[in-house]
Amino acid sequence: MNIDSYTIVVTGLGGQGLIRLLEILGNALITEGYKVMTSETHGLSQRGGKVTCFLRFGDRLHAPIPMIGSADMIIALEESTILDVLKHAKPDKSTNLIISTYEKHEIGIEYPSLKDLLEILYENSDNIHFIPAKEIAVKYTGNLKTMNTAILGYILRFLPLNRSIIEESMIQLFSGDALEMNLTALNEGINL
Amino acid sequence: MSYNKIVKGRKGEEKFFLGNEAIVRGALESGIDVYTYYPGTPSSEVGETFMEIYKEVGMKWVESSINEKVAMEVAGSAYARGAAAMVGMKNVGLNVASDPLFALATTCPKNKNSAMVILVADDPQQHSSAVEMDSRYFLKIFKIPALEPSNPQECLEFTKEAFKISRELKLPVILRTVTMISHARSNVVIGEIKTSEIKDNFDLSKEINVALRLYFLKLKEDHIYNRLNRALEMSENSSLNKIENENAKNDFDLGIITSGVSYSYICEALDFLEFKAPILKIGFINPLPERKIVAFLRQFKQIFVIEENDTYIETQILAIAQKNKLNVKIHGKDPFSYSKENTMLLMVGELNPTKVALALTRITNLKPIIDLNLINKKKYKGLARNPILCAGCPHRTTGYALQKAVNKIKSDTGKEVYFFQDIGCYTLLALPPFSFANVKYCMGSSIALAQGVAQTSGSLSIAIIGDGTFFHSGIPALLNGVYNKAPILVLILDNGWIGMTGQQPHPGSDTRYYKEGSSKKAINLEDFLHGTGAYINVIKHNEGYDEKYLTKLRKLIYEKGLDVIENRNLHVIVIKDECIQKTNKRQAPVIRYINTHLCDNCGICFSKFQCPAIDSREDYAYIDPNLCLGCGICEEICPNNAIKMEE
Ligand SMILES: Cc1ncc(C[n+]2csc(CCOP(=O)(O)OP(=O)(O)O)c2C)c(N)n1
Ligand code: SF4
Ligand code: SF4
Repeated sequence: MNIDSYTIVVTGLGGQGLIRLLEILGNALITEGYKVMTSETHGLSQRGGKVTCFLRFGDRLHAPIPMIGSADMIIALEESTILDVLKHAKPDKSTNLIISTYEKHEIGIEYPSLKDLLEILYENSDNIHFIPAKEIAVKYTGNLKTMNTAILGYILRFLPLNRSIIEESMIQLFSGDALEMNLTALNEGINL
Repeated sequence: MSYNKIVKGRKGEEKFFLGNEAIVRGALESGIDVYTYYPGTPSSEVGETFMEIYKEVGMKWVESSINEKVAMEVAGSAYARGAAAMVGMKNVGLNVASDPLFALATTCPKNKNSAMVILVADDPQQHSSAVEMDSRYFLKIFKIPALEPSNPQECLEFTKEAFKISRELKLPVILRTVTMISHARSNVVIGEIKTSEIKDNFDLSKEINVALRLYFLKLKEDHIYNRLNRALEMSENSSLNKIENENAKNDFDLGIITSGVSYSYICEALDFLEFKAPILKIGFINPLPERKIVAFLRQFKQIFVIEENDTYIETQILAIAQKNKLNVKIHGKDPFSYSKENTMLLMVGELNPTKVALALTRITNLKPIIDLNLINKKKYKGLARNPILCAGCPHRTTGYALQKAVNKIKSDTGKEVYFFQDIGCYTLLALPPFSFANVKYCMGSSIALAQGVAQTSGSLSIAIIGDGTFFHSGIPALLNGVYNKAPILVLILDNGWIGMTGQQPHPGSDTRYYKEGSSKKAINLEDFLHGTGAYINVIKHNEGYDEKYLTKLRKLIYEKGLDVIENRNLHVIVIKDECIQKTNKRQAPVIRYINTHLCDNCGICFSKFQCPAIDSREDYAYIDPNLCLGCGICEEICPNNAIKMEE
């Protein structure tokens, strides 16, 4: 498929495995012959601060960072972090917002209410998807670390990638139990 | 893993490389013999990758040196003796390594294979640095060639070019990257790995290698008027300095000059604005190609210069325009005004395509199809989240004990207590709930900073320094303090590793627990400290549940702190408590849980101690079993005995 450029913004907290997620996606896209660019945040990131990374693919891209207002998809691996990256949503409200319902609260800071959050989200997109990633991960794999894979499974429907390519990309990076668990989570995400 | 990824693969094959990985590959394709480095984000992956593969690929030597100066010197003399050598560091590392580089830059090895490349990774926006520093002005001081890639593919190619230039000119060449290049990942087409051409017989004549006036002024003359002059010719003719969209003349008579990652931003911005302009992309950033620049400037009435951080290129463009009497308006950051009004882009923070596009609209009156200013007005913000120490981090334990001890010292003596911080994970103790920070500069400075206040006041000065940083550059300051009888308390937070940059080993690290360890000899920190003649105390946190550890630590700090105040002695306390990311505990953590019947929600564990694994629920605290790493300290701090080991 010829694509000019497709931009994914991924945001979450340090230690949530953002880089892994980008690596699986990027490897799969490269196998399919796309030109891919990511920008990753390394260093300091295992310590809970907010992290934003980008993955872009297509024939017509230049920078690892996109223009604001141009993302095709925004993924928030922790619910409230979506608020930090809405500048990337397209003004025509077509950006797919993929939001994990996983919440990490901070002592002494009020967590945004669902009502407020929804109000803001509706201002910014007509394509909002909440994913109960934590519940899926716990229910089917018993391990929170598979949250991202469930989300990965879900977003495949928007990308020019089929399941087997992603599975192959995962086989490169995981083995044994971890691989089994991630394949299960991927499947649940695809079937959502 | 790294071997398959980096070393395997044929010429023409496409890889998905991080900028830093592409640099490794480029060096291998240049027949590299030696790589030395000191870890520092965003440069560390280069050294770590070499460390993993160097034996298998047959390189002569790779080391993670004790600091950047030593790394520069080890690589430097290997260069003198005929090696293709490379040294890597982050921006501020070049400050530490700059002293030897002055001499090294001018020496002129005779061995044919001698080549020296210096990787310096800058960090605009201070993503993981204490200061935002542009290393490029050093290029003018050292007078050496430098290249700056704008994407991972160029990381590979420019590294090869850097080796080539250095081999030919016998000048060290700097390869400058920034975070968004070192940590960008993209398709990279690889070439062929080259075998080393290093010889066993070599020339180390003093006339070309010794910094002494007798030889050196002559060398310097050759450095500037011969080798640098040839570098300038290379720059003039180099395809790394190229003009793109040459025929895209526009209504505004505007041309663009840029380099590095900024090149990708301007391309993105031009595409977005559906506008075309000729671009002079500078990859060979020192010396700048004056003739090529003049020919470019002549074609325009306006020029927009885009570069990260300082105005290294812009200032020179202004000078070149003046020298050649060119009447052209130069837009950029205006190095002479220091006024936000006169500038198109700021000298503070990182650029991005949006900032560049907005600047372009101001220069040209172009109207973008979407209103960027409107989007920029969106002011939603998620939770404010500070970076925090890992769950189970030993520094939090130390912070907690230190806070108790210091409060008691203050109330018992009525003296003020000041904290002198250093660079490492423990720097985060500068933030609440501990807020231990009065002065902090750069790596290794805490012990000397403590002396400046201690020698001039009667308060208690406490230096907080990690083991990695102590080895890096804390040692001279400690010796200075002992010799000058400085009344300070030095806490060496010995977590065994260089935690912050990814748990790399340092000379004190346990050789059993890292890959290259069997070929190293660890320095015994205690023995070393005893040799200084200072008062030394060592306390160790044992694995599992070490009953009353916190109390012991608190008492020790209290006693020694008091002695510093009362008898003006210098005390060192070594706190041995391993980084949780490295400990065995982490492999099979004994997770703690909260007995909800006993917990009265007092908040000590979640708001005073603030382990991120502990959360507050309606009526009691809660430990997230997915986050707890089983350090066990919360068990000791809980006044209600409500925290227990999971059976
Ligand atoms: C001159 C210089 N080189 C490298 C770095 C990158 N850096 C940041 S912290 C650190 C070392 C931290 O080690 P340590 O003192 O043992 O503290 P820890 O993080 O383990 O707590 C390094 C190398 C730097 N900031 N400055
Ligand atoms: S044992 Fe307690 S302090 Fe340690 S990581 Fe677990 S919850 Fe945190
Ligand atoms: S990496 Fe180690 S030293 Fe750094 S915060 Fe985590 S546990 Fe603490």
